[in-house]
Amino acid sequence: MKIALVGNPNVGKSTVFNALTGSNQQVGNWAGKTVERKSGLIKRANQQIELIDLPGTYSLTAYSQEEIITREYILREKPDVVMAMIDASNIERNLYLVLQIMELSPRVVIGLNMMDLAQSAGITINTTQLALALNVPVVEIVAAKGKGIEEFLTEAIRVGMLELDPLQGEVSYPEELEQRIRAMEGQLADNAEVTRYPLRWLALKRLERDPEIGQEWKSSTPKSRNSKNKDACCDPGDAVNYELVETVALPGDELLQTYEAEGWGKDQFEMAFADAKYKYISQILPSFRTHENPSKPTWTDLLDKWVLSPIWGYPIMFLVLGIVFWGSFVASAPIGGAVSQGMAWAADVIVSILQWGHAPDFLQSLVRDGIFAGVGAVLAFVPQIAIFFAFFSFMQDSGYLARAAFLGDRFMQLMGLHGKSFFSLVSGFGCNVPGIMATRTLEDPKDRLITMLINPLIPCVPRLGVMSAVVAAFFPGSRGSVVMVSLLLLSMILVMFSALFFRRVVKQTERSAFVMELPLYHIPTLRNILLPTWQKTYSFLRRAWTFILVASIVVWVLSSYPQGVSMNATWAAKMGGWLSFIGEPLGFDWRIMVAIVFGFTAKETTLSTLGILYGVAANASQSIAQAMTGAMTPLRAYTFLVVYMLYIPCLASVVTTYKESGSLGWTSFGVAYNLILSFVMGWIVFHGGLALGFQ
Amino acid sequence: MERLLGDLKPGERAIIERIEGGGALRRRMMDMGIVPGVELEVVRCAPFGGPLQIRLKGYYLAMRRGECAKIKISETYRVNETYPGYIQHPLASR
Repeated sequence: MKIALVGNPNVGKSTVFNALTGSNQQVGNWAGKTVERKSGLIKRANQQIELIDLPGTYSLTAYSQEEIITREYILREKPDVVMAMIDASNIERNLYLVLQIMELSPRVVIGLNMMDLAQSAGITINTTQLALALNVPVVEIVAAKGKGIEEFLTEAIRVGMLELDPLQGEVSYPEELEQRIRAMEGQLADNAEVTRYPLRWLALKRLERDPEIGQEWKSSTPKSRNSKNKDACCDPGDAVNYELVETVALPGDELLQTYEAEGWGKDQFEMAFADAKYKYISQILPSFRTHENPSKPTWTDLLDKWVLSPIWGYPIMFLVLGIVFWGSFVASAPIGGAVSQGMAWAADVIVSILQWGHAPDFLQSLVRDGIFAGVGAVLAFVPQIAIFFAFFSFMQDSGYLARAAFLGDRFMQLMGLHGKSFFSLVSGFGCNVPGIMATRTLEDPKDRLITMLINPLIPCVPRLGVMSAVVAAFFPGSRGSVVMVSLLLLSMILVMFSALFFRRVVKQTERSAFVMELPLYHIPTLRNILLPTWQKTYSFLRRAWTFILVASIVVWVLSSYPQGVSMNATWAAKMGGWLSFIGEPLGFDWRIMVAIVFGFTAKETTLSTLGILYGVAANASQSIAQAMTGAMTPLRAYTFLVVYMLYIPCLASVVTTYKESGSLGWTSFGVAYNLILSFVMGWIVFHGGLALGFQ
Repeated sequence: MERLLGDLKPGERAIIERIEGGGALRRRMMDMGIVPGVELEVVRCAPFGGPLQIRLKGYYLAMRRGECAKIKISETYRVNETYPGYIQHPLASR
């Protein structure tokens, strides 16, 4: 039996899904889309049930990726039962989706969640009356406390086992619409499509001129499934792909033309159907809902008074972001340190085993300096990413993320972006990897792509660390802070400029709208925070580790061969030498170019590379930077900082961009854009500085 | 004179009369419950000309001014702060 879980966003679907499936979950992506696909197998009453958690959606019309997926699934996979979850505190808009589902799917069970939230707002809902009004079973659940979830499933199985489709309630459309629907039904009644979809639904969609009806789709399993290793890093997901088999021309064209002439076009029908559904809901609403003291402020009202206040809103947001940053990128430092120490220790153990077995020197070096050092550098920031995701899940579930988008939208609008991009960009200051991954909350794929591409221009914590060490060495005292601020301003200006530039490059048919729900605040459950955190971190590791391993080995080979020579004679140094023709116009010598090449794996290594190249024995970043002051003028150092800040952040961010965009073309475009932009800006700064007489 | 949703000040309520334009934006608005005849209230505006927070059907929505300018409204009235249940019509108060 196939059961689908459907509902509005923030309705508690994932809580129910997690409670029912436990650890029997398969998390992947929907074919070709970066939307999470969660399914699980459960066994109840001798039934093998495939439960699928469809993305949260407000309707079954196609608007965002999430809505397209949910619609396509119900349309093409035809689940046996649909478990529709609704939010009691917001029942009117939730029922709008339920009515749409009921028109398409003959077996629906409603799970009424958030009764506690509704009660605190003075709303009471009579479950029996609601079930009577819609003629659909309704189960009361408190998802956060695990109450009623099992009953919800049992009811769904019962409905799924019924011999005949139950008689569900129908929306009563106004007479002038009803007549036209009936006429269309008459035309379609003999068509073969009726065996696949309910007649009424077909008639409604035909009147709306929905392009998808009449299409027959065949599901096909993508080939990559068989060769798992090949696509281990960036598999498009384990979902099925669909192939269009044929399109059946449906009757009724003449009728549509007649209606068009009468002023009933596609838009009018769409509007009228939506209107009729809402009217129908408000008609039946009094029979099951009572709302006492509707004007009494709720918890959300009271909190919003502060959180969204014109005066306090921004300080509160900076405080929240400060806590998130401190927690993910500062407080996690000891854990990251422990991870790299552990890696170094493990490397030592393995090397001593290798020594004991008289393994050749190059193998020992490969293990210690190549694999463990390289992979360890990436593993060291996995705790950061995990803690960041825990905060992120908390903010998303609690409802604060939407508030931050509300407050940040004005600034994003300047760049032609969506308010939800704000959080992704701010996260970039911590680490670009979660910043890029946080773009998943954006509904519009184009907005998502642009946000992803500009994210690397924001200097992350490791880059800021290296930059401040160099700044402190070259520009002592208060000049240093002026220089640092000027660099940050430059990055902001370039982020803005690039966003506007990408807006022209990335084709977009329709500008995305900013119509966003501000959900009621609620406290998320621990499970709802930890489970996605684990899933995201794990999937990052699973997909990135091969790339990182290979890259670490490549860098090790380049920097340690030919064997036994000093660092400035290695292949990497030679590469730096070849590249110095790019660096020369900017006043860089080959050493800087080598450091830039090496910085690709992880930018925090740049200083230690420079230290080796300038022959500084000490390990402290301050003394390396001090040594550089002898070899460089402040102007060159500033040029270096500009280039350093802007070029590709690191391997992990490139891999993440590839994974999230699903496009090699856009990833290469982003990398090329970063490189060109950084060197062009460096050239402008260097020659502008020379012309102004700086040294 | 026709008024737009964007003209409302925080605390003012109105009934939706018509939604201009079409396509995905209007469909999105319909999905969120913005259809003619629905009453809504502007709760507050984000600073610096940012989006508006709107209450309708017992929930909250954030919308940009540009999108609010597509919604034509009628019958504006202010919520009386001291007696929230009591609706004060602007004409009656004059």
